[in-house]
Amino acid sequence: MSDGAAAIEVEELVREFRKGPRAVDGIDLAVSPGEIYGFLGPNGAGKSTTVLMLTTLLPPTSGRARVGGFDIVRQGSQVRSTIGAALQEAALDPILTAREHLLLQATLQGIGKAERKVRANALLERVGLTEAADRRVGGYSGGMKRRLDLALALVHGPRILFLDEPTTGLDPQSRAALWEEVARLAHDEGMTVFLTTQYLEEADVLADRVGIIDHGKIVAEGTPAQLKAEIGSPSVEVSPVDGGADELLAELLAGFGTPTHNGRGSVTVPLPGGEAQLAEIVRALDQADLHVASLQLHQPSLDDVFLAKTGRKLEGTAAETADEQPAPGARGRGRRRGR
Amino acid sequence: MRRFLYVARGVGWRSIHNTLVSPAILLPSIIFPLFFLVAFAGGLSRLADVPSFHYAPGYTSFQYVFVFLQSAAFGGVFTGFAVARDFESGFARRLLLSAPRRSGIIAGYAIGALLRWLITGTVVTLAALIAGMNVDGTRTDLLGLLGLGILFNFVAALWGCGLAMFLRTEQAGAVIQMPVFVLLFLAPVYVPLPLLTGWIHDVARLNPATVVLEAARGLLAGSPVKFALALALLAGAAALLAIFARRGLASAERAG
Repeated sequence: MSDGAAAIEVEELVREFRKGPRAVDGIDLAVSPGEIYGFLGPNGAGKSTTVLMLTTLLPPTSGRARVGGFDIVRQGSQVRSTIGAALQEAALDPILTAREHLLLQATLQGIGKAERKVRANALLERVGLTEAADRRVGGYSGGMKRRLDLALALVHGPRILFLDEPTTGLDPQSRAALWEEVARLAHDEGMTVFLTTQYLEEADVLADRVGIIDHGKIVAEGTPAQLKAEIGSPSVEVSPVDGGADELLAELLAGFGTPTHNGRGSVTVPLPGGEAQLAEIVRALDQADLHVASLQLHQPSLDDVFLAKTGRKLEGTAAETADEQPAPGARGRGRRRGR
Repeated sequence: MRRFLYVARGVGWRSIHNTLVSPAILLPSIIFPLFFLVAFAGGLSRLADVPSFHYAPGYTSFQYVFVFLQSAAFGGVFTGFAVARDFESGFARRLLLSAPRRSGIIAGYAIGALLRWLITGTVVTLAALIAGMNVDGTRTDLLGLLGLGILFNFVAALWGCGLAMFLRTEQAGAVIQMPVFVLLFLAPVYVPLPLLTGWIHDVARLNPATVVLEAARGLLAGSPVKFALALALLAGAAALLAIFARRGLASAERAG
């Protein structure tokens, strides 16, 4: 990879599955060296399929991509030597210990015997698994498996790291520790990180830039601040006491902007005039004798960006969309840890 | 080449490691051949008294050769099961992601199959010697016999690996095992070929496993027959099945 060249370059990348829609539908993106790129979208949006292609686990139907300066189709071997990846499912062998996993991974990557042990010990220490290093991973907790998975991705000192929903299923403490480690890798070691997530907070906290993908297409891209600035105005979410009154509520709020149904009866409307419009909304609700259970003012968030770009909230979309991921044991998740 | 060898070494190490530390993997591959040896060599030993049964070292030696080759073949078949299991558990994806040279994965599984069979083969040989097996072949003959076993194991491992990579499910087990089972048992297992009659004789005569079995029995008896033909057949099968296994790997790569 020449100086100044993108660590990851993608042009018109497409992946179609037999008898299925286009999981990835002609995406373009470029990630600079040392950057943390957050790839945000609901289940089934095409995030994991993109990662599988970029890590050479799935050939694209068309388009091209270069990772670390190598073509993912014609130079797969070089790509695999350049990258580390922790995929959604931490596929580990329950019979092997953490140390044995690391030694195996180092062997596969062609690292010499003496160096293997040094790296294994250092990584076990770094991910806090030294004490459990010689226990079979079959007895590990989900968090321990995730930490080992990250260590395995780092064993050969890759320049580019792919993390596919790395914090799914982790407790808040483990999630924070992993965020800290990812930030350290990028900022202290200059590693490029391509991170997929369906958690807005994760993308907001970690990513230097965010790409939002929906139905296989990138619908927005920029720094979190840029994306939120595009939305500009705050919004208000109103929940009526009577859950069935959402149509009436939406009709009323249409006078302020385009209302959006959020499910569970609540309706959101943007406030182009800023917070000052809140008082007008309260007066309008009072005049219509519409009783309100809650009324929340939201400053623009990545969820609002998603809403503005797709017409839907990220919350709940997981339930609507089947996961496109052909991976064994792929799971459906619908939670959002948003703001 | 260096990358290929590292990958093969890593995958092979894991196969043999898991075999040694997990009785659930090791024991079946030892118990089945031992059972066959005891059942056939012990229970059917009076077959040696049948007129026209000419095998100088005796019936235990006659049966040992079959069990020796059968354990070699099933060492390869069990490796196919392990490959299918790795695909179903997702571990194969880790190997595909981590291996710069993916063809080394097949070689690694084949190395694992060989090392596992060497354990089984040693146990079976010791059991046969304890049971009174006669060995009339020279050291060179016995090396030839070992060579046939290794090649047979390699052929079966390529078959098992290739098919498991095409199907990528543990349900592939029966499909992997059945053709090997049929091929082996349609050879002259219990008596020499001339003593078989009817359709089974015709099938056994055309069965390539018969050539390998007769060559192996000849080597143990110290009177080699059809050895070059057996080697050629196994080498040919290995070449074809290496292509088959590589295509299986390509199929797995396409599927992601």
